[in-house]
Amino acid sequence: MNEIKQIEDHLFNEVDPQESVLFEARLILNPQFADNVKWQQQTYQLVKQYGRKKLKAELEVVHQQLFTQTEHRSFAQKIRALFSW
Amino acid sequence: MLVKRILSDAGEREKFFLELYKNSFPAIAKYISKRGGSFEEARDVFQDAVVLYYEKLVGDKLNLQVNEQAYLMGIAKHLWIKKYNLDSRNIDINEAGQLIEHVEEPLPVTQKLLNFLETAGQRCMDMLKAFYYDKLNMTEVAEQFGYSGERSATVQKYKCLEKVRDTVKQKALTYEDFLE
Repeated sequence: MNEIKQIEDHLFNEVDPQESVLFEARLILNPQFADNVKWQQQTYQLVKQYGRKKLKAELEVVHQQLFTQTEHRSFAQKIRALFSW
Repeated sequence: MLVKRILSDAGEREKFFLELYKNSFPAIAKYISKRGGSFEEARDVFQDAVVLYYEKLVGDKLNLQVNEQAYLMGIAKHLWIKKYNLDSRNIDINEAGQLIEHVEEPLPVTQKLLNFLETAGQRCMDMLKAFYYDKLNMTEVAEQFGYSGERSATVQKYKCLEKVRDTVKQKALTYEDFLE
């Protein structure tokens, strides 16, 4: 867990220059560590993709409400009219 | 910040998005329809614009003075232009004057991985999302996920991160076309 945190600090937060140098050295000297850093970066990317996917699903729920429920009918009609020709 | 509070609650968030739809979708739909786009394209552009707007909001990266409707319209125009590779040099799109990121569809391999993690490690993914994507602080994360406090939630967060990282690594080796 220490390593995970250390990598995160290095990637996102301010670390003191001395630690930073050690980190860089370790990257060069220890391929397995470098590999872990790479996969950790991938993981953050993946979490972002996951977040976007979930957020879009939430937006789609709202979209469906607006375009299927009777209480929003006039809004839906107004929008649909823009695309009927 | 008030908006962040609203956005951290699922029910409130839904209301927020509903309002956003009502206030901002008509103008964007009109813009897209005038340029020959379909209803579905208008929906996609609008939703992508909201995603980017949401990320700015939770990341505290927005000027408080920004006009929501104008801002969303700016992003939507930008996304529409980008979609069709039109020349965007002459169009004043961005109110805030920053570069706008594109919402890329995840690669098929990434989709596969996401689907796997969604079922195998949903709780971890949700927790990581709450912290890294929705930008809740550790106290809020602890509350939402039922941990006694910031400290145990932090420990759990790192455990999850490690678990997902190992899964990504392991899966990546079996999906040949995993790249970047």
